[in-house]
Amino acid sequence: MASLRTTSRLIAASRPMFRPAFARTYATVEPTPSKQPKMKTFKVYRWNPDQPSEKPTMQSYELDLNKTGPMMLDALIRIKNELDPTLTFRRSCREGICGSCAMNIDGVNTLACLCRIPTETKAESRIYPLPHTYVVKDLVPDLTHFYKQYKSIKPYLQRDTPTEDGLEFRQSPEDRKKLDGLYECILCACCSTSCPSYWWNSEEYLGPAILLQSFRWLADSRDEKTLERKAALDNSMSVYRCHTILNCTRTCPKGLNPGRAIAEIKKMLAV
Amino acid sequence: MFSQKVAQQSLRRLAVQQPLAMRSSILGASPVAVALGKNIQTRQVTSSPNTEDPNQILVKQRLARPIAPHLSIYRPQIGWIGSSLHRISGVALSGALYVWATAYLASPVLGLHVESASMVAAMAALPVAAKILLKTTLALPFTYHSFNGLRHLMWDLGRGLSNPVIIKTGWTVIGLSVASAVGLALL
Amino acid sequence: MASFARSALLRQTLAPRGTFLQKNVGVSQVVAFHASAKKQILPPLPQTIQGTMNDPAPIPETHPSEGSYHWSFERLVSVGLVPLTIAPFAAGSLNPVMDAILCSLLVAHSHIGFQAAIVDYFPPARVPKFRTFCNWLLRAFTLTTAVGLYEFETNDVGVTEALRRIWTA
Repeated sequence: MASLRTTSRLIAASRPMFRPAFARTYATVEPTPSKQPKMKTFKVYRWNPDQPSEKPTMQSYELDLNKTGPMMLDALIRIKNELDPTLTFRRSCREGICGSCAMNIDGVNTLACLCRIPTETKAESRIYPLPHTYVVKDLVPDLTHFYKQYKSIKPYLQRDTPTEDGLEFRQSPEDRKKLDGLYECILCACCSTSCPSYWWNSEEYLGPAILLQSFRWLADSRDEKTLERKAALDNSMSVYRCHTILNCTRTCPKGLNPGRAIAEIKKMLAV
Repeated sequence: MFSQKVAQQSLRRLAVQQPLAMRSSILGASPVAVALGKNIQTRQVTSSPNTEDPNQILVKQRLARPIAPHLSIYRPQIGWIGSSLHRISGVALSGALYVWATAYLASPVLGLHVESASMVAAMAALPVAAKILLKTTLALPFTYHSFNGLRHLMWDLGRGLSNPVIIKTGWTVIGLSVASAVGLALL
Repeated sequence: MASFARSALLRQTLAPRGTFLQKNVGVSQVVAFHASAKKQILPPLPQTIQGTMNDPAPIPETHPSEGSYHWSFERLVSVGLVPLTIAPFAAGSLNPVMDAILCSLLVAHSHIGFQAAIVDYFPPARVPKFRTFCNWLLRAFTLTTAVGLYEFETNDVGVTEALRRIWTA
């Protein structure tokens, strides 16, 4: 590991003009020659399922920020490309629309692709998987139950009566406006895994992300199964484990407000 | 040219063989036969005793998975720290009420003196500094839980649920509760 | 236990991955044991998934008295507590009727609060017996508290008046 790192640094330092083409990815930027190297330490959670008796550990990596892209995902990709190919994480779109790279960075759940690397090099950055998830490997959490919960709220339009003219189900602009701030959710699970209630009761409590989706269908003027949807939520666990801690609203990388959606669900159920 | 091709082919054939298949084929045929492609691989039906449900591998793997760290690594923020203080203060206040009321009920049996007259006397016997300290420790959870409770009631009406408001009201509640607790202690 | 010892051994024998581990290589096994024996906060059970990945999670039965009615009742009690908490500060203490209402609301509020804590922290799947024990303990204590407060209201000076006297003692 150490030798790999020093050679890559040597190559970069001595012959910046003749870097091999394959070493360049979008995560790596061409260094500006005048600048001093800005080395920053990244501590990353590691756990290997092939050695299940080993405890999870934190592994440090050092990167020169001058040669790294601006986002945390760039740093992770550079670590994987140049320092340690065994580091495992999910990523896909690199622009905050797929939700794959959701993880806990410096104590807050966010998407690595939307999270800037803090520029001060003295403080190290700590990267963990989403809190209180079962870890598949390194930064990859198992979201099976999360998706099963999503399926349980029937996330699709339920309607029996056709429209009069047999065309599509139409909505007034006002009704459509009610879905703003709800339909944008990408189900990255940042909010659900930031919620202490979800940490303790993820088996039965649906969690902010699924409840936001639930409200998205409750609020839809075209949906006709509102009563059934409300009945499915009206028990002690599904909604009412929410104690308005509001970590969800604080952490959402898309700037949505799951906390408000849950408050609206509670109001709908109470009346 | 031709010999090269043959060698390449046989090597490839050897390489492609799975280790398990190699072992079973070695029992029946020589590696030469395998390399030359002359070997017809046979495998008895009972040679693969793996009748296990393949899903069980995943099930076993799941059981070994660790839980990602949570409370110990999450960044301290006014939202969830304030919320945990709300619960802690509530449990402390209600716990005190429960313990005291139960002790009052049991006092004739246990010979305790928790009726108002003896508690007033006990309080009056304390030095002033201890009085203020005791009153502050009693008043702070009460004021915090009360003010934060109002914040919760506001949220239940669906108001004040945006990030800046949450942070602002959180610190306001802490300021108000500390100030009013000190005020109460100095009464 | 065995896994702790094994992991410590593994760490020493296998080449460690990073600098973090390299620092620990020279550390004796005893220290490694202590370092890894950190107590987990409310440790969940090992992961099991009910049904296949494509089955939805089970939907709990509709139970409004534990759901929406319970929530509304809790809010009503909390809202009711607001004026009853402010009034003694304005009036010094409450008359016996108001005092009794305050006490019963406090008991209801406390009971619901404790219950929420039990449901949150002691899921029946993980600690079924402890959960039942806590529930019965809470019921017993709520009862003794309610009776104790009734005794105090009838035989003593009342909660708000007692608090006023203690506070100004």
